[in-house]
Amino acid sequence: MKKHTSAGRRTAWFFAYLFMALCVAVAVFPIIWVILSSFKSNQEILSNGLSWPTQWSFDGYRQALEMAPIFQYFLNSLIVTVLSTALNVLALSMAGYVFAKKQFRGKNLLFSILSLSMVIPTTALLSPIYVTITKLGLYDTKAALVLVYAALSMPISLMILRSTFAGVPKELEEAAYIDGAGFLRTFFSVMMPCARGGIASASVLAFLEGWNEFTFALLLTSSGNVRTLPLSLSYFTSQFSFNYTAMFAAITIAVIPSIIVFTVFSEQVNASIVAGSVKG
Amino acid sequence: MRKKERKWIVLFLLPVCLLFVVFFAVPLGMVFVQSLFDYRLLPNKFEFIGFGNYAKLFLRDPKFLPVLKNTLLWILIHCIGHVALGSALAFVLYKKPRGWKFVRVVYMIPNIISQSAIAMIFVNMYNPQFGAVNQFLKAIGLEKLMHNWLFDMSTAFPAITMTWFLFAGYTTTLVLAQCLSTDETVIEAARVDGASGFQIDRLVMFPLVKEMIGTTVIMAATYMLQMFSMIYITTGGGPGSATTNLPLYLYSNMKSNNYGYASTIGVVIIIVGFLTMRIIQRIFGMNKEEVA
Amino acid sequence: MKTKKILSIALAAAMTLSLGVVSSTVFADEIVINYPTFQVGSNSAAPVVAELVDEFNEIYAGQYKIVVEDVPGDQNYADKIKVQITSGQLPPVCYGAGYKLLDMALGADLVVDITDAVNADPDWAAMFDENWEAVDCRDGKIYAASSESEKIGYFYNKELYEQAGIEPATTWDEFFANCEALKEAGITPIAMDTADGAWCTQLLLGAMIATSGDEGLEFMKSMYPTDYSIQPVVDAITRIQEFYTNYTTMDANGGAYENAANNFFSGNVAMICNGPWMIGDFSDTSKAPEGFADKVGVAIFPGGFVYDSPIEGMFVTKQDDPALEEAAIAMVKFFTSADAQQKALEMQGMVPAAKTVEITDAAKESFPLLADFIDQAAGASVSTATFTGGMVPGLEDLWSTELPNLASGAYTPEELCQILTDFATENAVTE
Repeated sequence: MKKHTSAGRRTAWFFAYLFMALCVAVAVFPIIWVILSSFKSNQEILSNGLSWPTQWSFDGYRQALEMAPIFQYFLNSLIVTVLSTALNVLALSMAGYVFAKKQFRGKNLLFSILSLSMVIPTTALLSPIYVTITKLGLYDTKAALVLVYAALSMPISLMILRSTFAGVPKELEEAAYIDGAGFLRTFFSVMMPCARGGIASASVLAFLEGWNEFTFALLLTSSGNVRTLPLSLSYFTSQFSFNYTAMFAAITIAVIPSIIVFTVFSEQVNASIVAGSVKG
Repeated sequence: MRKKERKWIVLFLLPVCLLFVVFFAVPLGMVFVQSLFDYRLLPNKFEFIGFGNYAKLFLRDPKFLPVLKNTLLWILIHCIGHVALGSALAFVLYKKPRGWKFVRVVYMIPNIISQSAIAMIFVNMYNPQFGAVNQFLKAIGLEKLMHNWLFDMSTAFPAITMTWFLFAGYTTTLVLAQCLSTDETVIEAARVDGASGFQIDRLVMFPLVKEMIGTTVIMAATYMLQMFSMIYITTGGGPGSATTNLPLYLYSNMKSNNYGYASTIGVVIIIVGFLTMRIIQRIFGMNKEEVA
Repeated sequence: MKTKKILSIALAAAMTLSLGVVSSTVFADEIVINYPTFQVGSNSAAPVVAELVDEFNEIYAGQYKIVVEDVPGDQNYADKIKVQITSGQLPPVCYGAGYKLLDMALGADLVVDITDAVNADPDWAAMFDENWEAVDCRDGKIYAASSESEKIGYFYNKELYEQAGIEPATTWDEFFANCEALKEAGITPIAMDTADGAWCTQLLLGAMIATSGDEGLEFMKSMYPTDYSIQPVVDAITRIQEFYTNYTTMDANGGAYENAANNFFSGNVAMICNGPWMIGDFSDTSKAPEGFADKVGVAIFPGGFVYDSPIEGMFVTKQDDPALEEAAIAMVKFFTSADAQQKALEMQGMVPAAKTVEITDAAKESFPLLADFIDQAAGASVSTATFTGGMVPGLEDLWSTELPNLASGAYTPEELCQILTDFATENAVTE
């Protein structure tokens, strides 16, 4: 495919690579900045954001771990986000499948009502959701965050999963029914595997939404056994004192594992997408 | 068979509907009810005033129009520029140039970092005294162009737009996934017919991923409609209300304990969002009955 | 993939199990006081609160137990308490700090009147002088007790002062002359900010208003003023605009306290207005260069002015269980006792709220700059609370977002004042 390159094509590729290089530069800049800052003194961070650290000291990491219960919060975050992602993707796959493949009365109306959730400003929901969670007796439990995060990612997952299931050829579903598979088995053993790509995309988005959420975590939890990682960042800046070094160290601690998980996971996503498309 | 299926359909929709009712519908109802009251904490007040808050917002609040304008403008910029950027990268990557996998993963990284960290980086870069932007201009002899980027009326809006504009990882990921899952024989056929790379992109690929682009446009629109933390950390909505959008205005009314009025803004956000979504769906021909 | 999934589920199960074990080991008849606080992490009062909680739990072992809930970030704390006020249930003990939480909680009828409990203890009752009454009492009833005082002047860099050949000013004319002299010596005079309520800037502004005459002083002494267009305020804001253009750093416009502080630590500016809690940072080598602490001097404002006011204190909220209210009162009493204030002074250099608390030699030795400042403050002739401290809710944010337009010259001082007046009138707190 790349053998017969004419001059015009070569320029096209040159610009393509240039574009890719720029995108990579834009994307790695913040993370490098964060990591470098975690080694600088507060003064260096505030006076010259772009400079190289004058000395590579791990003080920031030591202070970060001393000041805030980062590991515990990390574990909490992991549990809450994994469960909320699983709940979200399962519930929305079921709904997405039904919306994409089944006919029933009031389908369009129900779908428009549900997609309203996309445009509801979460800031306005703070107080009502707090009241609801307290009334349900879920204040300061992981379950509260799991449910709220599953709900928060609902709109995006609904969009993605509905269109994913819509893209699965009807013949596959019909073949399954002819083979005698019931509704449930058709869904789990035929439809779900075909929708892997979309499910993976939705999972990534739902995971990141939960992983970085701050306000509800602050509002709905109180004990260290439940609190999540984003809350730990406010330990380092209060009204009249600040420790940016420790804060960037904490951000680094928070973000490096997520990048690794994401990298590994996205390999999976791709493999499944490619595998899906062969048959598609 | 039919009856049995209906049972399953109901069962499959139940979890989502429950989530929706508990975490969206009920709270939303509460927000709407609150918007009909003069509800404050200090002095403590809870008085029914009908549509008084709405009348005040639409007719007598000089801040409302500029804030609405900012919100809509940002949505527009994001839906067009940001999605175009992300999709363009996806269209480059699906041809699998060397290193495409690397680029795809790396481009998502800024979306993994918490927004407050990104916001702080930009605050630092825009710092008029020490920031990289002004240092750079000084170094290349363009001292005249040096600015207090985030706090000058004329530059605040574009400066803040840049804090999220370039990070289009979501769009790239979703559009690319869709591109990759299309049937390669279609593209092969087009190539045999003598179509150029650009023609294939435009005539074959684009229609195939149009709905996914529509999805990312909707995501972009809702992202901007809900945008809060980035602005809050960088300019707080200032100078004046040059960078205030609807969610920020809602929050500032909550901070002044004017809960009824804040709820009114909440309802307006929902209406604006619903209309925006409808328009986008119409443009991309989405939400029609699927043709299988 | 599968093993990962199983692992995470097992992890979750293990976590929930261990949770159950931990929470069931609490004593049966011990009353638990859940205390959310922002005084954790990098907050300078964090070690004091931790120490006091430990002591309290030891003294009242078996009877009461404070369980601290970390709510890092002052604003996060205020936001959370406000949501809880709207839902009608507050933690047993709240800290008013600078967020008018007491008035809001009172408005929702959630606060316990502690007048009798205070009067039952002469030592405690003796702390309630007229300053305390203004902050912690409403309609002759005591609702809160303070533990810390907000006493603020400004710090200056002695080395830079020497270079310019100046001494701390006693009148505003001298102060402006000092700034001019510094500027001529190539030194930026003062650190200012606009973000987060423009803390340093509003201290300078308030000092000018309070010392401008009777009208200005009365304005600074009033809670929730609605008229910002009076002459003393307009005049002072005019001055502030001059400061932005002539006497401060480029990043003052848009900068937060951090930027202002960093400019002072780095020797970029000669002065910064701030309270004694900053003293510890002068010797923190991650923020300031080695030996910086020796270069810093402290002064009260020109016109013999100093900010001096107790910070709105801790209050007890209504609970279903009267025994819990009792426990909460015991906690507030313990945290605001003379001993506790003394401890805060000696540990972190926090200024005691009560005049009855003595500044010990131990404290003077560990915080010489603080001792110097408290001596000077004793000689001050005028004192008030801060400018933004008296604002109606929400105005501080508006002030912070409108100020850049004053700094850049987009607004005249009159225009800014009018904006503040309009908002304060619209959102007036009528008591």
